[in-house]
Amino acid sequence: MGCQHLDELHELLLLGALSEQSSRDLREHLARGCPHCLERVRDATETVYMLGLNSKPARPHPRVKTELLNQISRKTTPHG
Amino acid sequence: MTQETPPEDLLKRVAGQDVAALSELYDRFAPRVYGLIVRILPSHEAAEEVLREVFLGLWRESQPLSQAGGSVAAWLVVSARAAAVDRLRQNSEIAPIANPQVNKSKTEHGPNIVAKKPRSGAAKLRERLPASAKSPAAEGAGKSAARAFPPAWLPQPKEIALVDDRLVLLHKAIKQLPEPQRQALELAVFGGRSESEIAIEMGEPLGKAQRSLRAAVTFIKHRRRAVCGTWAANI
Repeated sequence: MGCQHLDELHELLLLGALSEQSSRDLREHLARGCPHCLERVRDATETVYMLGLNSKPARPHPRVKTELLNQISRKTTPHG
Repeated sequence: MTQETPPEDLLKRVAGQDVAALSELYDRFAPRVYGLIVRILPSHEAAEEVLREVFLGLWRESQPLSQAGGSVAAWLVVSARAAAVDRLRQNSEIAPIANPQVNKSKTEHGPNIVAKKPRSGAAKLRERLPASAKSPAAEGAGKSAARAFPPAWLPQPKEIALVDDRLVLLHKAIKQLPEPQRQALELAVFGGRSESEIAIEMGEPLGKAQRSLRAAVTFIKHRRRAVCGTWAANI
């Protein structure tokens, strides 16, 4: 069976806009490795990326980076 | 002139536990990612937490992501959006950021949920929806949308570079959408709303709201393909 009827759903899946059932069905279909839909979902990711960036960049407080790097260092530092 | 190290090369170093490489990726992408997160989450404290979670996620997932060879920028943006929407839905005290354009819409179900009533939010909307209408995120299934994004779904870095080069032009296309379509798209992208929730917020039947959102997404997708020249067919 062709799955062209799913073509308009991939962006909605990535946006979380589909109903739970439709989302689960499409995820299961993708998990089965359908090459047509995998290509479409990569294409849809480009669209969602572009839509998400329709927002002004903002500079986070420097403390956020310090905390992030401290957290990572604690994870990577071997216990003595 | 020195050329910037491609993010995917930095990711390989991150996969080898190189903290300096993650620091460089953060410096390069945090403003874009944070800009997206604060558009979804009104609380800067929550937005900062989500930003940190996203980069921690990149650290944790760096090996499979690096092996898959997809775009780091795409992973960061799509994961950040999903994580911010998850946070918005998990915390009923957090209402979405004000959007004057969306607030113009009238609904027959009461005041618009986006920003007019900070205390009502995704949670109150969920209470009004039948279980079958709720989005997966609304169900609070405990699965982070960011973690549920498989590396195989990532586009190639060169495809994302094309989008980056034409971003201004592409965003103009959003302004060309008819108002109901633009509103539906806004609610989906930055409000994290499902099709059913959009119908309620816009005071429209589900079929009409679905058509608006799907028409908007199709238009934007075709514009992107045409502008980036990546998909000659279907335009």
